[in-house]
This record gives sequence, structure tokens and C-alpha cells, in this order.
Amino acid sequence: MNPFVRALALLIAFFVAAPMFIVIPMSFSSAASLTFPPPGYTLANYINFFSDPNWTEPLINSVIIGLGTVLVTLCLAIPASFALVRHIFFGRGLFNLLIMLPMIVPTIVMALGYYMYFGQLRLVQSYLGVVLAHSCIAMPMATLILTAALKGFDRSVERAAMNLGASPFTTFRLVTFPILRPAFTVAGLFAFIASFDEAVIALFISGRDRATLPRQMFNAVRQEADPTISAASSFLFLLVLAGVCVWLAPQFVRRRSGTTRQPLENGATNTAAAAS
Amino acid sequence: MKQRSFSPIAEGPIPLMAPAAVFLAVFFLVPLAYVGWMSISQPVVGLQNFGRLLHSSLFASVLYQTFRTAFLVTALALLFAYPLAYAAANGSKRFATFLLTVVALSFWTSYLVRTYAWMVILGNQGPVTALLSWLGFDPAPKLLFTTFSATLAMTHALIPFMTMSLYSVMKRIDPLYVRAAESLGASPRRAFLTVYLPLSAPGIVNGCTLVFISCLGFYVMPVLLGSPRDQMIAGIIGDQIEQTLDFGLGSAISIVLLGLTLAVYALYNRFFGLDRLWAGGDR
Repeated sequence: MNPFVRALALLIAFFVAAPMFIVIPMSFSSAASLTFPPPGYTLANYINFFSDPNWTEPLINSVIIGLGTVLVTLCLAIPASFALVRHIFFGRGLFNLLIMLPMIVPTIVMALGYYMYFGQLRLVQSYLGVVLAHSCIAMPMATLILTAALKGFDRSVERAAMNLGASPFTTFRLVTFPILRPAFTVAGLFAFIASFDEAVIALFISGRDRATLPRQMFNAVRQEADPTISAASSFLFLLVLAGVCVWLAPQFVRRRSGTTRQPLENGATNTAAAAS
Repeated sequence: MKQRSFSPIAEGPIPLMAPAAVFLAVFFLVPLAYVGWMSISQPVVGLQNFGRLLHSSLFASVLYQTFRTAFLVTALALLFAYPLAYAAANGSKRFATFLLTVVALSFWTSYLVRTYAWMVILGNQGPVTALLSWLGFDPAPKLLFTTFSATLAMTHALIPFMTMSLYSVMKRIDPLYVRAAESLGASPRRAFLTVYLPLSAPGIVNGCTLVFISCLGFYVMPVLLGSPRDQMIAGIIGDQIEQTLDFGLGSAISIVLLGLTLAVYALYNRFFGLDRLWAGGDR
């Protein structure tokens, strides 16, 4: 490759990566304002992040809401994916569109819709309201991942199990489920992240009582008064950094041993491009 | 006797799809329809909310600002992402892995973390202002809370989407085509322009569509980093919920935003087919 293109790509990669790393030194800053480079270093921001209820409660709320979203999304998206891949039925295209719709409609529009609708149903400022909304948002991604995996599933192993006398339920438990478990895990992970990172709907419907971490961060950035936001940002960024490293490590190992990537991972990275 | 179906959990698709269909109808379609209903019924039934928007010069300037930013961000994201995706698709495996890791890192990092990072970088006591003062700008220009800072942050946030769309198409382009053009006498420049660029066009279209649509409805970054005077459309919907409590007008603006978004999707669907957009150029 042309060395000029290589240098240009490196420069752009620097522009993409570098701005985010600034949150790490900032998180140790002793200044209350956004001074960079920091005038002095301290752990106060981290201590505050893990002890002040204004921050610990949103973190716990976000985890609870994320896990609830995973549960609801998988319970709905797994059967829906089986229907979409294995059956041809009247209204299938429409059903597919319905599942993809949450990815099409702008989140701020839904935030207004949920604010008014859940206000009437008294679901504002409750875990349930945010979980229901986030499950809708997580559904398109989860379904895309699951249908991609299901399309590559060889059904003859199911037929073999049934020929040997297994009931449909036993077949699912002992054959179908173990084969598809990686896809279920990836879909669940995407659902969790979709909920954990979602700021706009949570901002308007979670309220002060059930504030999520993104909502607390949004308000901290807006008010520019609480330097704990730096520790929160650094914590989230380091989580992503660790996640990317964990995801990369087996790839390096596998490359050395000479095998290729699994098709499922390819599907997941492809569909990841469509997440929003 | 009817042939037995081998579907393992249940017979037929209805019990499989019904839970998701009912759930989305009740918790997605109904609130969405509620926005539509509020836009024509608050405070009284009629189209007066849309009339107010039509005659509002403020709303016209918001629309202008939204479209200008969306076009600018899309063009800039393409400009940055194209060399990145090209190098990842055509470089050595190690280099490609490095570039894609950087993109993944940015992709998975929360918008709020990146917003905070830009506030530090562009702030009054940040490194860019310090650099500008050192270069002799006195006083250093205000960077934060301007259209510039919002555009920069949105471009940075959407580069990963654009790169992934481009990369998924580029990695399938057979390098033999470009080599064939060059062996037939085309300069590298000409081979790129007449062979590689057209072959990567589906990725450009996909990436631009996704980025443009994301931009139209972007809330977090324009609100936190942008100029309060030059708001975008999502920002003024938020204002109706938080400040003026005018849900009729907020719903009408939401319907306009939804309509614009759907129009872009419809345009894409008309020419390329929607299933390709999410498959990242597959099929």
C-alpha cells in the first residue's frame, strides 16, 4: 500500500482514538473545573463515584435496567427469529418491519412518546417503564444477530435428534440451544449495552428516583459542577478498553494456530455497523 | 394425513411471533401513534400546531441548521472514514486489525464519555485553547458551545459507522480488478478513480444514509456541545418536554422529524432496498 495512504490512515486513527484517552488523566485531576493538563492528582473523583449515592444509585439502576432489558428482549427476540427464519407466513415482511422500526424512529421522538404515554400509565420513574422502552430499542439488533446465526444453522442435526426419538422440547434443549448459545450470548450482550448506554429516553422517563448512569452523566455535563463525571467517564471508557482487549486476545491466539474466525463473529461485526 | 412439521418448539409461526408483535404494538406503536394524535389534538383538534411551525421563522432556521449540520457531518465523516476503511481493507493483516480496533474502541464508547472528552479538549482551560493562545490568538476564539464543537463531536462520533459500512463493502472488492486496470496502462490514480471508487460506491451510499439519518435525530451532542442559539430539531423537541411543556407543538415537531427520517429511508429503499442497509452491503 501507498505509504501516503498508510500515514493518512494512521493520522485519522489518532484523531478517532486520542480524544477519548483524555478522560483518563482528567479522572485523577484535583481541580473542580475542566483544566487540562490537571494542576494536581488525586483519587477523590473515584472515591466519590463509588461512594456518593448520587452516582452509585444510577450505576446500580443502570445494571438492573440493563439485565431486565436482556431478559425481556431475549424472551421476545428468540422466538421471533425462529419464526422469521424458519417459516413463511402471511405478514412476514410487515412483522420484520415492525421489529426493525425502533431502529428507524429517532430516539427523541420515542422519548416524547414514552414521556406522555407512560405518564398516563404511571410508569414514569419506574424500573418497568425504562425496561419496556429499552427492550423495544434493543429488539432490532438482537433480532439481526439471532436471524444471522439461525440462517447458518444446519437443521439436519435437529432432524437426526427427532429421528432418534427425541421430543421437540428435548431436541431444543440438547441440540438447538447448545449450538446457538454463542448467538444468544452476543444478542444478550448487545441488548445490555443498548440499554446501559441509552441516554435520551432514560433522560426523560427515568426521573430522579430511577435515574440511570447516562442520565446522571448528562446532567453532570450540562451543569459542569460535579467533577465526579470524569471518574464515571474514565470507568466506562476503561470497561470498553478491557472489552476490546478481551475480544481481541482470542483472535491473536487463533491466528497463530492458523484457524479462521468463526462465521458468527463475522455476522455480529457486520450487523454492529447498523447499531444506533 | 398431513405431513408432520419438524419445527422443534411449536407448530407454526404464530405462537413464535405473537409475543414480540403484541409487545411492540403495545409498547412501541401505541406511544408512537400517541405522538401523532397529540400533534393534532393538543390543545384542540386541528392542524394548528403544524400551522404554527409553517409560519415560524425560528423553526425554519432550526430546519436549516439541522440539514446543514447533517450534510456537513456526513461529508466530513466520509472524508475521514474512507482512507481509514481503505487502509483496513487493503493493508497488512496486522495494520488492519490495529485500525479496526481503534474504530471498535470509538464505536463502543458512550456518547456521553466522548461529549465529556470534547468539553475538556475544547474548553477554556483545555489544550486547544492553550495552543491557540500560544500561537498568538488573543483572545483565543470561543470553541465550546458553538456549531463548530457540535459538528466536530458528531463527526467524530459517527466515523465508526461510516468506516464499518465502507469496510464491509471494500473487503469484498477483488484486488485483481485494480491490478488488471494498472497492467492495462492506467495510472494508480486513474485505476482508483475508475475501478475502485465505483466498486466501493454501495458502501458510500450505505454509510452516508446511516450517518445522515443519525444526524437528523441526534440529541445528546448538539444539546450539550452546540450553540444554544443554533439548535437542531431534536434539541427543540427536548425543550418542549423540559421547559415549555407544550406537548402539542413538541409532538408536531416530532412528526416532522419522523417524516424527514422516513423520507430518507424511503428514498434509499426506492433505489437500493432496505434489507441491504442493515446487512452492511451483504447480498
